[in-house]
Amino acid sequence: MKISYNWLKDLVDFNLPPQDLCKMLTFLGVETSVVSGGTNWTNVITAKVLDKQKHPNSDHLSICKVNDGTKDYQIVCGAPNVAVGQTVPLALIGAKLPGDFVIKASKIRGVDSEGMICSQEELGLAAHSDGIMVLDEKTLLGKKLEDVLTDIDTILEIEITTNRGDCLSHLGVAREIAAKLQKIPTIPEIKTSKIAEKTLLDIKAKDLCTRYIGCHITGVKVAPSPKWITDKLEVCGIKSINNIVDITNYVMLELGHPLHAFDASTLSGKKVVVRRAEAGEKIATLDGKTHELNEKDLIIADASKPIAIAGVIGGEFSSIKDTTTEVFLEAAVFNPGSVRKTARKLNISTDASYRYERGTSWEIAETASWRALNLILELAGGRAEFREDYNIDENKRAVITLRVEKVSKLLGYDIDEKTIANILRFLGIEIDSKVKDVLIATVPSYRNDIKEEVDLIEEIARIDGYDKIPVLTDFSSASSEKNKLEEPCRLIENLDTSLTGLGFCEAMNYSFCEIKDLDKFYLNYTYKIANPISKENEVLRPSLLPGLMKNFNFNIGQATTDIKLFELGKIFDDKGERKVLGILMAGPVWQSWWKWESSKINPVFDFYFAGGIISNILPSKEFMISDNRTPAKYFHPGKTAAIVYHGKPVGQFGVLRPDVVGDFDGEVIYAEIEVENIEKVYKNKINPYEHIAKFPSVKRDISVVADKSVKFEKIEKIFKNIMRDGGILKDWSLFSVYESEKLGDGKISYSFRLSYRHNDKTLNDNEVNTDISKLLEKLKKDLGITLRN
Amino acid sequence: MNNIEEILKEALDKLQSAQLADIENIKVEYLGKKGKITEILKTLSSLSIEEKKKTGSAVNEAKIKLNDAIEAKKKEISNKILEEKMKNEKVDISTAFSFSFPKGHHHIISKTIKDMSDIFVSLGFDVYGGREIETDWYNFEALNIPKDHPARDTQDTFYLENSEYLLRTQTSAAQIHIMEESKPPIKVIVPGRVYRNEATDASHSSIFHQIEGLVVGENITFSELKGTLQLFINRLFGQELDMRFRPSHFQFTEPSAEVDIKCVLCGGKGCRVCKGSGWLEVLGCGMVHPNVFRAVKYDPEKYTGYAFGLGVERFAMLKYGIDDMRVLFENDLRVLRQF
Repeated sequence: MKISYNWLKDLVDFNLPPQDLCKMLTFLGVETSVVSGGTNWTNVITAKVLDKQKHPNSDHLSICKVNDGTKDYQIVCGAPNVAVGQTVPLALIGAKLPGDFVIKASKIRGVDSEGMICSQEELGLAAHSDGIMVLDEKTLLGKKLEDVLTDIDTILEIEITTNRGDCLSHLGVAREIAAKLQKIPTIPEIKTSKIAEKTLLDIKAKDLCTRYIGCHITGVKVAPSPKWITDKLEVCGIKSINNIVDITNYVMLELGHPLHAFDASTLSGKKVVVRRAEAGEKIATLDGKTHELNEKDLIIADASKPIAIAGVIGGEFSSIKDTTTEVFLEAAVFNPGSVRKTARKLNISTDASYRYERGTSWEIAETASWRALNLILELAGGRAEFREDYNIDENKRAVITLRVEKVSKLLGYDIDEKTIANILRFLGIEIDSKVKDVLIATVPSYRNDIKEEVDLIEEIARIDGYDKIPVLTDFSSASSEKNKLEEPCRLIENLDTSLTGLGFCEAMNYSFCEIKDLDKFYLNYTYKIANPISKENEVLRPSLLPGLMKNFNFNIGQATTDIKLFELGKIFDDKGERKVLGILMAGPVWQSWWKWESSKINPVFDFYFAGGIISNILPSKEFMISDNRTPAKYFHPGKTAAIVYHGKPVGQFGVLRPDVVGDFDGEVIYAEIEVENIEKVYKNKINPYEHIAKFPSVKRDISVVADKSVKFEKIEKIFKNIMRDGGILKDWSLFSVYESEKLGDGKISYSFRLSYRHNDKTLNDNEVNTDISKLLEKLKKDLGITLRN
Repeated sequence: MNNIEEILKEALDKLQSAQLADIENIKVEYLGKKGKITEILKTLSSLSIEEKKKTGSAVNEAKIKLNDAIEAKKKEISNKILEEKMKNEKVDISTAFSFSFPKGHHHIISKTIKDMSDIFVSLGFDVYGGREIETDWYNFEALNIPKDHPARDTQDTFYLENSEYLLRTQTSAAQIHIMEESKPPIKVIVPGRVYRNEATDASHSSIFHQIEGLVVGENITFSELKGTLQLFINRLFGQELDMRFRPSHFQFTEPSAEVDIKCVLCGGKGCRVCKGSGWLEVLGCGMVHPNVFRAVKYDPEKYTGYAFGLGVERFAMLKYGIDDMRVLFENDLRVLRQF
């Protein structure tokens, strides 16, 4: 909201320049800044134009002789309105104008100029000017311009927090200044008088309207407003309409309460009804639109039709026109939630609705009603015929008990009772301090944010200044009771440390997807956003894959070839919200290197390498890679595997289907691991220490030939069983897989490296050979596998 | 006697100019079975006992001296050869910096979250996860933000279709879960992702990350809140940074404050980032509102607490000088690899 610095000065006595005032208000919780205006210059004086000659080298410049009462200056001026005899603002050499514009001695088209005659625009006093500023001819010469222009106003912008609707007026801000500086604001004189009462109000929606003051004025003359009103409206950015409407706006800016004026002659049945609209009821409003209402909207109506949407906007039909002579002036208090709901639904925000949504005061409503009536009678003439005040009994000031010890208990420093009482009194709060250590506070109704003790404590802290609160760094607050809270698992940290160690970079994507993108990945969504602002926010991601593929494509587009990405984030599917780890890899496993050029080491990611990466990062040997019985549809059906923990799948990985990847020359591997599941089963697990053998191991390589139809898993099982039985075979690994015609049809050869060791002695060849024979026999008997020659 | 010294001198002279191959010859010539020094011993029998002793020890001394000299010479020569060899092996260091295993990097946001969490953990805070899909109760109502309250204007919310659920607009939603799940004392932070239904541009994003803090106990004061945040800021930026607390308003805290820190870029002189003010607004905080305690059935007479919330992206952007939020979620590897 824009407010006038000078208007504030009318309401409270203070001696702070605009910038200092802004700082003070900001530290009271009302963020304030200077928008424009004020004397934002130096070295500008008043001077008289004594002579004006055409510039010899220019059609539009003139050479002026200007005098400041003692000295002449030669000034080249381009303004068309400059004329001999004018008193003008003269910026001397060295003067500083708004925008850090410094005046220097200069030659303009060959003629010396010793300064500049200023326009209002150049002085920051107007947004635009057509020529130089001409001062009153009686102005003394050689004076500082700021001393002459004493009525120059400064426009301030205030930004209030949602609880401080009471600050949305000059009086409201003046009250804050007064509270801090311990002054009493000067409220404009309000004359009340006895006016006949007549029942024309009918408050039907008593829950939504808690006060309604109506005033019927006849014989008014609608005309333009006087300058002192239009000037103030202009500063605050409100358009002048006519004296009646302007007065309602003026009082709102002054006291903070929205008012509305109806043309009383348009009210059918001479009735003013406050009620809920009927479904389908329509009203054409002042913004030129027609709105359809329903029973959730509160309206003001006459005997037959809506005349205003309560607290939001007035109707066109009943508005004040040039011909209006009879005015019905409304000052009412409406339910904030109801006004907000209707305003949001109709997408209207007015100065009135903005204030009503934040809560208005039944006390200020009355003050504002009298203030506006006084001004109407003064400026538009007429006579107050009737006045009616609907006021409910519940409209009472809140009474709150404040225990003095609670102030220091919450804030952490001692403030004495007297200081507290003083702060609260200057906030307009009545204080009864008869009981020791307790203050009974009666809060004015405009402070609807003060509801309980803690709200008073905030007021005390705010006015005393947050900087008074000491910074306590040797505090002793206890840590949480851990057993109750979900503890984060180190596992995730270990996983991503392993991945970064392997050269993977962490990505972070939006949690949303477009439906059409999901189709590409054969994915379905579970959660759809009801109110997305764009297609990109349509649904919540059911997988990290779409985001990572987007990153993949982006990076390929940037000519980055080695893509190793992972993301740790929430996905949302029919199992709910879960944290998963997504890993995406493609392209060269490592970048080319001159040292390797001769040996041609340039592998690209494939299923097997990816499997190696995955088994490397898993936290223990209990995690195994096995057949993927329920592969995600985006995987190549022949190139995918599951990650299993004690028979329970906790993730899967594989090569993405070529149609999912698009035109990329190579395989893209994706893994999605359910870290939350792993966390659950693996929490607090420890891999126990294994003793290192004292005796050396013996390594042997064997190559065998098997039918391709034999699943490797079965061979693996034989090895594992032998090892589990505690023999001398301690380890094995597959180091070569080989297929050739020479092996025979449908045959495949595997080469294993076997590691034998005895716990208590050094093995000899015989012992090892015997064990290998047993293994080969077993392989032959169970799977028909033979030793390769 | 003279003879021994002469022979030793002769041997040492030869050694002086010997090459590696000559050394063994010298050793044989003087110390071998028929070596010149060894020969002297053979003459001992003709000498008196006194003489025998004298000559014998002189010979032994000479043997030791020569042996030591031979070993020293050997060492000298092999060192020289090694030096020469290493000199020839000198690498061109300029080619050593194109390694083919680039290291991986954490995302700047998770890195920042971790840096911040570590500081809070060192101050005694626990870390809580929290959920992103929430109900109106947890995200608003229980936090003293009733329906149709203007405070909701500042947080445009994503709602889920055909359900009562929404995406949390603030990690504060986790406060309620924490208090429902446990009893005071509570001292936790909640790092996490939040959602706002607004268009994405350089300084706005439909998702971003916050760290929420909540401390509840019997003697928790605003003064401790100030202390905690001051310690946090000092440690995060590695310097004593001036802070100021401005009164503000959040529905779930009372009193509430906005916190500014002295601009880390210009040191308070005023620059583009702090818009000339010399200060940066970095977080919001306050004392837990009694209505929040009431919502979780805590006794507001018994307990007090403080809460704070800060935007991770804001800090990360300030700390690393990033001027466009979208850069954070583009995941350009050339950017990811910088941090």
